[in-house]
Amino acid sequence: MSTRTGTSASVRLGAAGRYGLLVVAGVVSLAPLLWMMASSLKAGGDIIARPFSFDPGQFTWENFRSMLDTIPIGTGFRNTAIVVVVKGALTMIFCPMAGFAFAKYAFPGKRLLFGTVLTTLMLPTLVLLVPLLLEMSQLGWVSTFQALILPGAIDAFGVFWMRQVIMAIPDELLDAARVDGAGELRIFASIVLPVIRPGLAALGVLTFINIYNDFVWPVVAVNDEQHQTLQVMLSALAQNIRSGQLGADWTSVWGQLLAASTVAAIPVLIVFIVLQRHLIKGVMAGSLKG
Amino acid sequence: MVTVTEPTATRGEASMIRRRRGGRPGRRGSRRVKAAPYLFVAPFVLVFAAFSAYPIFFALQLSFTNWHGAGALEVIGFANYRFLLTSPDFWQSMATSGALWLLVVPAQILLALTIAVALRKARFRGLFSAALIAPFVTPLVAMAQVWIILFDQDFGAVNHGLTSLGLPAVGWLTTSAWAKVTVALLVLWRTTGYAVILLMAGLSTIPSDVYEAARIDGAGAWQQFWSITVPLVTRTLSFVVVIGTLTVFQLFAEPYVVTGGGPFNGTRTAGLYLYKHITNSDLGLGAANSMLLVLMVLALSLASIRLLRSREDS
Repeated sequence: MSTRTGTSASVRLGAAGRYGLLVVAGVVSLAPLLWMMASSLKAGGDIIARPFSFDPGQFTWENFRSMLDTIPIGTGFRNTAIVVVVKGALTMIFCPMAGFAFAKYAFPGKRLLFGTVLTTLMLPTLVLLVPLLLEMSQLGWVSTFQALILPGAIDAFGVFWMRQVIMAIPDELLDAARVDGAGELRIFASIVLPVIRPGLAALGVLTFINIYNDFVWPVVAVNDEQHQTLQVMLSALAQNIRSGQLGADWTSVWGQLLAASTVAAIPVLIVFIVLQRHLIKGVMAGSLKG
Repeated sequence: MVTVTEPTATRGEASMIRRRRGGRPGRRGSRRVKAAPYLFVAPFVLVFAAFSAYPIFFALQLSFTNWHGAGALEVIGFANYRFLLTSPDFWQSMATSGALWLLVVPAQILLALTIAVALRKARFRGLFSAALIAPFVTPLVAMAQVWIILFDQDFGAVNHGLTSLGLPAVGWLTTSAWAKVTVALLVLWRTTGYAVILLMAGLSTIPSDVYEAARIDGAGAWQQFWSITVPLVTRTLSFVVVIGTLTVFQLFAEPYVVTGGGPFNGTRTAGLYLYKHITNSDLGLGAANSMLLVLMVLALSLASIRLLRSREDS
């Protein structure tokens, strides 16, 4: 009897500890984001003087207004949108296609090609920085959309992942379509793609987030403002501020910086909130990568 | 990996043979079936050849030359490698990345495993998972701005909080030791949720009757964690360590935006040092540095896997 109550007390204590830990972890995860958004709506001086008090009655759009005056953020959004749409489309069409070939066909050279895919997964992206930049300048592509879009499109990870997903489709389904006289492309488009829709959704979310947030390659590949993506523009702004070009007192532009960061984070957060189940599935599938 | 590939290949072949025997009219059909996989992989292969394979071989070649972006390639043998391996700057960048690894990876494993175990039996799992992975999807550059502002020495919210608790203010971005911590905190904040989700996936493969049996044998919670959970998620754990190692040794954007590599090069990671060669137009040197970085990352990943696997065996 006494051991039983002892156990249930310790179970209850365990549960309290567990939820306590989870709540703390959740709060720590969200706090910087919420702080950024709430502070972007505060008057400049208040961000510094009262960083932890938020009074919705005092909120102002002033930071957003002055931010829009200083940063060509519209251009940044446009450039990011172009890259996301084109690079994303390339990935979403050609990764499943290559994955299909690796999953469902036997062809000479397949093992060699697939081995290459697996090797690429292990390779640090930083290795490519120097030679890719040179390649771009040889092609005359520095500061162009081609440079932002083509390197890194149709990436090996997407191909590998789509292969795993497509392997689960029974061969009989494809053979039945062949007997009915469907061509290979038709089979891909009207059988494979609809069947793997959940996998495609997950690939889509991850691809969007990766391209939208990408920074290392865009900052190296682009030197002019016309082609800067949103992220590059933000970082350039921060550097200008740090070197004092926008004003000696750098705390006076905190509001603007927070407003710009909020604007940059919101599209990806909306996509995340709407599609987070697919994202979590995608990350879990990504653990197959090992 | 090979074992995974093999059965598909044979299955694919079998279905192809079936198809041929199935007597599709004429040779046109089978030729089309043969050509199809090549057409399907062609776009991937083209982009891969042009923007991955070619640059890698180009980088390897460049690493043996003294090249600044124009003129003929002057082959200088291993001089770039010798220069780097005897350069204090190179070793300082490696040491900085090593220090960041120590600050990030062990803490991340500990945190992620604890949270994943807690999350496993909790209600509202979807809600907690979403909150935990949210930082992972946020644009790094935007969050780096927030970090600079939060951790400002004189006016930042973090020091504001510390001093209001009667603690001393910290030079989060102004001393080279604390700047590493600040960058490490940003990496931890952004990627720990990702590690939690990976570990959750690993934990979900452990059948619950294993715990049942252990409980009947009188194993306490701690014992269960240490002798069931940890060994059974070793694979996932090593995956998390490898990902963490790759992330830290390629760290570029975080120190680039938050600290610019400073103060006093205190956060000039291997990745930022590599970038310096690009901005200096020392491209042969940069290529050699890339190659050394690849070797380092591969060696570290393999070592972490080895270490974790040996735990699994014992």
